[in-house]
Amino acid sequence: MRVVIAEDAALMREGLIRLLRDRGHEVCAAVADGDALLAAVAEHRPDVAVVDIRMPPTHTDEGLRAALELRRDHPGTGVLVFSQYIETRYAARLLEGGAAGVGYLLKDRVADVAEFADALARVAAGGTALDPEVVGQLLGAGRHAHGLAALTPREREVLSLMAEGRSNAGIAAALVVSGGAVEKHVASIFGKLGLPPSEGDNRRVLAVLRYLGS
Amino acid sequence: MGSTGPVTSLIALARAALREPFGRRARGELLYCLVGVLVGLAVLAVIVALLVPGTAESVIRAAVITAVLVPLALATGMARRLGAAHRRLAERLLGKRVAPPPPASPRPGLLGRLGAGLRDGPGWRALAYTLLKPPIAMVELYAVFLWADGLANLTYPFWWGMFRNHPPGVRLSPVLVGTPFPGRVFHVGTYPGTFLALVVGAVMVLAAPWVTRAAVSADRWLLQGLLGPGRLAERVRDLEQTRALAVDDSAALLRQVERDLHDGAQIRLATLAMHLGMAKEKLGDDGDPQDVAGARELVDAAHRGAKDALAELRDLARGIHPPVLDNGLADALATLAARSAIPVELATDIPERPTPAIETIAYFCAAELLANAAKHSLASRIDIQAAELAGMLLLTVTDDGAGAADPARGSGLAGLAQRVSTVDGRLDIVSPPGGPTRVTVELPMRA
Repeated sequence: MRVVIAEDAALMREGLIRLLRDRGHEVCAAVADGDALLAAVAEHRPDVAVVDIRMPPTHTDEGLRAALELRRDHPGTGVLVFSQYIETRYAARLLEGGAAGVGYLLKDRVADVAEFADALARVAAGGTALDPEVVGQLLGAGRHAHGLAALTPREREVLSLMAEGRSNAGIAAALVVSGGAVEKHVASIFGKLGLPPSEGDNRRVLAVLRYLGS
Repeated sequence: MGSTGPVTSLIALARAALREPFGRRARGELLYCLVGVLVGLAVLAVIVALLVPGTAESVIRAAVITAVLVPLALATGMARRLGAAHRRLAERLLGKRVAPPPPASPRPGLLGRLGAGLRDGPGWRALAYTLLKPPIAMVELYAVFLWADGLANLTYPFWWGMFRNHPPGVRLSPVLVGTPFPGRVFHVGTYPGTFLALVVGAVMVLAAPWVTRAAVSADRWLLQGLLGPGRLAERVRDLEQTRALAVDDSAALLRQVERDLHDGAQIRLATLAMHLGMAKEKLGDDGDPQDVAGARELVDAAHRGAKDALAELRDLARGIHPPVLDNGLADALATLAARSAIPVELATDIPERPTPAIETIAYFCAAELLANAAKHSLASRIDIQAAELAGMLLLTVTDDGAGAADPARGSGLAGLAQRVSTVDGRLDIVSPPGGPTRVTVELPMRA
């Protein structure tokens, strides 16, 4: 996997480089602001870019803006935005153009190295990786408490993992159940929430998120 | 050699005195005086018309009384309007800005308006100004007289030759010459005599601007006191300003704390967790570790990161509120002095503890001033004095450095002054180029 990193904190940047190289990925460039990120992606055409939201010069949301620009100009490059806070508004803006090749994770997630690498690989392959925090905020918003109340606890877990962007296999591995069991849960969830059955993980994520966000 | 100093300064003084009558300032003041005379006389006329029976037609008097002054409410309103005109005049001609008083707040209806007019403090003060205008106008009139008569006297030698070239033997009556004392005149009957008039005129013209200034100064003083916003309103405005500063200040502090956490401890801890996660992977879930050397190195980095994060959090916590401040300002300042890179001589005399907010502000002032001195001054020693004096806490920080500290150059001094002003304190900076720099912070004991 070829990766470009945009992160202004040198400590974190070096750590990420090491983590990715250790796992055999190629870090084409590691930069510290949005403009340099756009230039690096245009030059290297990586599989995925890891983008910090708060970077110089304004330390507000330049990373997010650069990420949106990347989504528009380089649809082939996955964008994993990561940050120390989760803002549901930011998640919504990132997902506006579809859920393919988008990720939004808390920086804390790098502590679970394998999961982080897994999420990054998913985004690079055109999948989705949403932080459990984002999903939790959407679920907790209470807008669909009535529909969600019909779900069993296990089905709620499956729904959360689906919203995070995991495949059936990923969900099965996380919950330590069989693939068939996951399929049954998914069908039941879609039935209870009245969602049209969707083919493919990305469309499924979008359907679930649209339901939660609408 | 030694006498050149006083001589040059005398010459300079003389030059200034000669130039004064023709300066722009003198012109503005003279114009102001002229208007003042007119207004003063008008006010006087109204008063006389009202108070002295028989001096004006009773019809006019009755009209004036009923139309203008019987509803005193309207009098305050009119005085306000006249006051506003005077403020504009003073700004235009004297360059003196007086903030307008808060507007009157009339309630609807005739009675409401009358009541508001009667309770209109600034309106009454404006009325007082209007009534005090005639006496001031007398002085202003005298100033105008000095100008006019003085200038007239200057012209005597010039027209004497034109109009007094009569044949010998014809005797003309001598001409009158005014003096600085109105009503006192003397007579001049010969051409050389006109030079006496010229000299008297010159003296009057040279004196006129100073008399003008005296009259205008008195007027300015009244203007400030009676047509300004008033002490209470001014205090309210000050408090509004300093409250806004205090709110901004605390918001900025919180933002800074968030920023420090975000860029510092949070990043360190996230990286530390990442290092531990990577080390865990290298050690594997069970059985023999796969990469002991790599894991050891990562644990080492994590250990270092944890210690750095601890140090950073400690600094941050101390920056929010130094725990030693709980023991009193003297102890806190001693700690500060001990940590300073430049040797600090500390003297404290604070028998009674100020309130915590004051102690905190004083402490952060001292900390900021020490940091400033270390950064900019090249000083080799610093004196800090903190003492209670007449109910005020006086903090003085003096360094023997290069001086030329300028609050406008964003050295944090302006921010300090703002913070001090939120509790009605003052910050004075004396910092000539070449040093020494002396900053005095004066704070009330309670806030």
